[in-house]
Amino acid sequence: MFNNKKDKKNEQSTNNQQELQEPTKHYTKSELKQTLDTRTKEEFVNLIKDKVSSPADFIVKNINDEITIIYIENLIEVQSLNDNIISTLQSISEPTPQLIKEKLSLAQVDISNKLDVIIYELIGGAALIHTKENADIVVAKISSYQSRSLSAPENESQVIGTQVGFNENLTTNISLIRRFIKSPNLCNENFEVGEDTVTSISLLYLKGTASEEQVNTIRQRIESLDVSGLIDSAILAELIDDSTKTVFPQMLLTERPDRFCDGLLSGKIGIMMNGSSMGIVTPIAFIEFFHSKEDQNLRWQIGTMLRLLRFSAIIASVFLTPIYVAALTYHYEIISHTLIVPLSESRAIVPFPPILEALFLELIIELLREAGSRLPTKVGQTVGIVGGIVIGTAAVDAGITSNILIIFVALSALASFTTPNYVMANIIRFLRFPIIILAGIWGFLGIMIAVCFLLIHLLRLSSLGAPYLSPLYPLRLKDLPNSLIRLPLSNISRQAVNTRKGDDESTNQENNEKVSE
Amino acid sequence: MIKRRVLLYYLCIFLLLFGCADPKILERISLAVLIGYDVESADKVTATVALRSVNQELQSIVSIASQTDETSKGTRIKASLDSTKKIVAGQARVILLGSKLAEAGITQALHTTKMNSEMSSGLYFAIVDGEAGPLIERKYENISDIGQHIFYLLEHNIEEQYTVSSTLHETVRDSYSPFIDLALPLIVQDEDDVHISGLAIFNGDKMVGKLVGNEPFYVVLVKEKYNAGSIQVIIPGAPLKKLSNDIPDQLAIAIDSIFSNRKVKLVNKDTPEFELDIKVEGRVLEIHSSITTEDFNVMEILEKEVEKEFKKEIDKIIKKTQELNSDILGFGEVYKANVGTKNVDKKKWKELYPKIKVNANITVELLRNGVFD
Amino acid sequence: MSQAIQSKQYEKINAFLVFFIICGCQIGVGIHGFQRVIYKDAKQDAWLSVVLSFILAHIVVFVMFKTLEKFDNLDIYGIQREVFGKILGSFLNFVYVIYCTFAFFAVLKNYIEVVNTWVFPYVNPQFIAIAILLLIVYAVTAGFRVVIGISFFSFFFLLWIPPLLIYPLYFTNINYLLPIMEDIIGILKGAYSMSFTIVGFEILNIVYPYIKDKEKKSAEKYAHFGLLFTFFIYIIIMLITLMYFSGPQLERVIWATLTIFNLIEFPFVERIEIITICAWLLIILPNLCLYLWAAYRGVSSVYNLEIKRFTWIFISIIFIITFFIKTRTQINTMNNYFGKIAFIVVFIYPFILFIFASIKKRRKKGTGDTS
Repeated sequence: MFNNKKDKKNEQSTNNQQELQEPTKHYTKSELKQTLDTRTKEEFVNLIKDKVSSPADFIVKNINDEITIIYIENLIEVQSLNDNIISTLQSISEPTPQLIKEKLSLAQVDISNKLDVIIYELIGGAALIHTKENADIVVAKISSYQSRSLSAPENESQVIGTQVGFNENLTTNISLIRRFIKSPNLCNENFEVGEDTVTSISLLYLKGTASEEQVNTIRQRIESLDVSGLIDSAILAELIDDSTKTVFPQMLLTERPDRFCDGLLSGKIGIMMNGSSMGIVTPIAFIEFFHSKEDQNLRWQIGTMLRLLRFSAIIASVFLTPIYVAALTYHYEIISHTLIVPLSESRAIVPFPPILEALFLELIIELLREAGSRLPTKVGQTVGIVGGIVIGTAAVDAGITSNILIIFVALSALASFTTPNYVMANIIRFLRFPIIILAGIWGFLGIMIAVCFLLIHLLRLSSLGAPYLSPLYPLRLKDLPNSLIRLPLSNISRQAVNTRKGDDESTNQENNEKVSE
Repeated sequence: MIKRRVLLYYLCIFLLLFGCADPKILERISLAVLIGYDVESADKVTATVALRSVNQELQSIVSIASQTDETSKGTRIKASLDSTKKIVAGQARVILLGSKLAEAGITQALHTTKMNSEMSSGLYFAIVDGEAGPLIERKYENISDIGQHIFYLLEHNIEEQYTVSSTLHETVRDSYSPFIDLALPLIVQDEDDVHISGLAIFNGDKMVGKLVGNEPFYVVLVKEKYNAGSIQVIIPGAPLKKLSNDIPDQLAIAIDSIFSNRKVKLVNKDTPEFELDIKVEGRVLEIHSSITTEDFNVMEILEKEVEKEFKKEIDKIIKKTQELNSDILGFGEVYKANVGTKNVDKKKWKELYPKIKVNANITVELLRNGVFD
Repeated sequence: MSQAIQSKQYEKINAFLVFFIICGCQIGVGIHGFQRVIYKDAKQDAWLSVVLSFILAHIVVFVMFKTLEKFDNLDIYGIQREVFGKILGSFLNFVYVIYCTFAFFAVLKNYIEVVNTWVFPYVNPQFIAIAILLLIVYAVTAGFRVVIGISFFSFFFLLWIPPLLIYPLYFTNINYLLPIMEDIIGILKGAYSMSFTIVGFEILNIVYPYIKDKEKKSAEKYAHFGLLFTFFIYIIIMLITLMYFSGPQLERVIWATLTIFNLIEFPFVERIEIITICAWLLIILPNLCLYLWAAYRGVSSVYNLEIKRFTWIFISIIFIITFFIKTRTQINTMNNYFGKIAFIVVFIYPFILFIFASIKKRRKKGTGDTS
């Protein structure tokens, strides 16, 4: 899977000129590690050309007898090449790498004689300046990044709050973050991961606020990654998760810089990756997936109400259909006498047992959602309306489902969309299916088994070693004001206990004192 | 390790496949809503059941099944042989007992109902004046669902406290308690209508008599805290004659929004003698047009007269129950609470009850009237 | 002190969690129907029996802590070996493990019986047993923290019970409580019968070494708080039951609490007891997990056994036993035996252990002084 993506990317960058290439050797990074010796112009050009698989946009430009510039056309800024490099070089009479470096009016100019360095700089968008009889090569970085402009975050939109989202450019994203946090304590560590993609990853955290231990863990996890390609931060998050067996994500993906920075400020660790518009925030507790930055931007009463609404919506979303199935299949006694007539009448001609009926309807809703999200926006809306109304009404008319269940299923689908986090919203919808099956087999007992299983499962999980269910368990009283509810800002401690540095012992000790008060 | 995990998955799947509980899918069952029991012969019981189920036209239909057997479950099995759907009793709302059965003893019927975990403790018991079977089986002109009808009839009257609450729980509680006797609502079928006619009163588990007319109100007044309903009392018009000449000899007055508080005290252990204090607060809703209630004295006279009327009725009821030896008002509980369980048992209390003396003190306070004097 | 538990730092728990452990352990299946048994002995004074048994429980907890404090980081298994020597100590440890297994089985079987009676009469009890046992394996193999976490959450699951009890208040009759203090012997007998219901706090014997060292002092306070909370729940249920049922009726009601719930109605849902029974799974879960854990500690003090392996062996044994105890009569007999054994193990034995431990410690101190 990774390889396919990698190929695609390579194809793009080499302008799809595969047929011109001779079958060349596949080089790995370590094989390129060698020091250049003095070479003539031709030798040097051929060496480089061979190493980068002689692409079609590989340009060799001779300024004069002594100076040769090599670059890949699509990766550099032509304006800068003309104005700053070519014109300067033409005026130099006796070029040495040192002299060129001094003369060039560019911010980033290096001198290197390492083959791997200059190859990767060339691919990264630098012009290599070779001077006669010199092993050292001048690397002038004039890369042009094609990146889309900053726009509002689409998946995590909110009414009040910053209307800017990350884009795919790491530099832009880091600058965005730096705009929010001007602290000199903001650490930015760089990693390059992926044999082929050589993706830059930035590990961001506030020194002194983030837990040293957790930073070490994450650093170690990134360093020990051994993949050929890495395309999106979602994949990175999965690769460095605590447990991959669970459906629950243990790292938050966000495209909102404010959310990201909020995490950093509360002592979490952020990871940004080049080419991905999603930042990773970790460690994260289960509850925080249901927080929206907007809760904090509103007054605390409203924020609390919204959060409670969201949590009840999620519980309803997971359990509404199973309860319907359980009650109608096994526990007709619990239905109150006012409800039992409409319920039984609506199901009178439905040929399936409730469990099949419910699974069928849930599947339809999932199909509609999936089709709607894969199609272009305008068509997608039509599909939703047509599918929802036509299929829904027809299904009831045909007697395949009861209309009361349609209300339940639609409600629970609606409720699941209140989850601010897309990944978590998907999981909430997924959770329903096994619970419906259990409810269809053992009624309420089945639902309860599912609840117990979920509880144990969540208790077992951890995010970067921090308990997943905190601040509920282990109980962290200081974090409670900003968990299920949201109290006034004065009550919310800036830093989550989960991420506090120092050993667990001392933090719990503090908590305990609070408890005993 | 992996093998073990696979084994575990198999175990789970096995569990799901074979552990499935027996479904009682709502539209594939017949819900017994109303069950009526009658005695057929010495040891046989006829159960008549109003069943509700849904048909293909999305309507709920009511059908009646009637069978005779030794146990009620036996009748259910027999009825099941006639029915197209499984008959379940979990939604039963009312159990009616024919008066013949009630006179013979209801313990067995109660025990059967209580033993079945399907049955709700909240279902109502009532006695039919006559036979329960014909009442359920009859096709009424205005009543489409007899089960629902009787349930609402009882529920609303119990909520308004026009009759005593007779949930399965309370019925069992009182019938098992040695120091109180049962009183159950009495239902009667009158041509094309079914209504509550009064109370059936029991001695032990046998029905011995009934209270009709206004009497159930006073039973509720003594037994329970009153916070609903209304009553019409007829008082002599004589004391008010001086106000206006139009006042008739018999003056009807309707009191509503009644709140009452009652207290029973044992004052003498030997006789035994009880002090019954009842405080009633209410509002005058209807009174003869010539009386204006503005006058303080008028209100006082009215209160006095109503008190007298209340006392008269309560004394009458107590006397009647004493004659039947049916302690439906629960004086025995008070007696037991005072003398201890060791000094009184069921037999002794049955001997004592006809001899007890009850001094009823009633205070009536008419708080307000309507919006027009 | 080879037996001292060198539990890892992260496995240590805060003292206030003892509160939740006590609540999680004491409230189990007994609460469904304890009233009848006690009523048979103490009649209308049954609530006094509850008070009495809880007073006794407080004393026992006090003595337990006194014993545990003498041996800093030892659980009961270690203490028994220390006090009674290797052979007798190991034997007593074995007895204690058997007791925990018995308790585990009693809780499980009683719960399944309730489910079978009220909710699913046709489901094979073995299937329910497998499902619950698998859940327990999943929980216990994750370690002590998860087990405590379950009791923590199950406590909050309990909190919806007291509000529900407001509804039956409407049907109560205070006369059923009178006269008070009629039969002192009966009350004492009732308190003895209560033992099956209120056991569970003996788990402190095993949990104690896991409490953070700094907080061991305050743990006792939380244990008493936990007892007070369960007392509060039990006494409320007992009082309401006594006022709700007439005496001879209560003698025949097998699960009085559930029968009370039976009457509760909401506009959209009735028959709360069915939901309650199913939801009770989460409430018995900490019970089961902690007993299993206790048994594991006992076994692991002798054999070096991995928790995973032990759990599988344990639940297999339990599962096999479920085949032999099937009918209500057998379950009742089992409960009777368990009640008797529990009374000895939980209410009497701690005093004996305390006396022997004191003698042992004093003697040791004495020899220490002379040398």
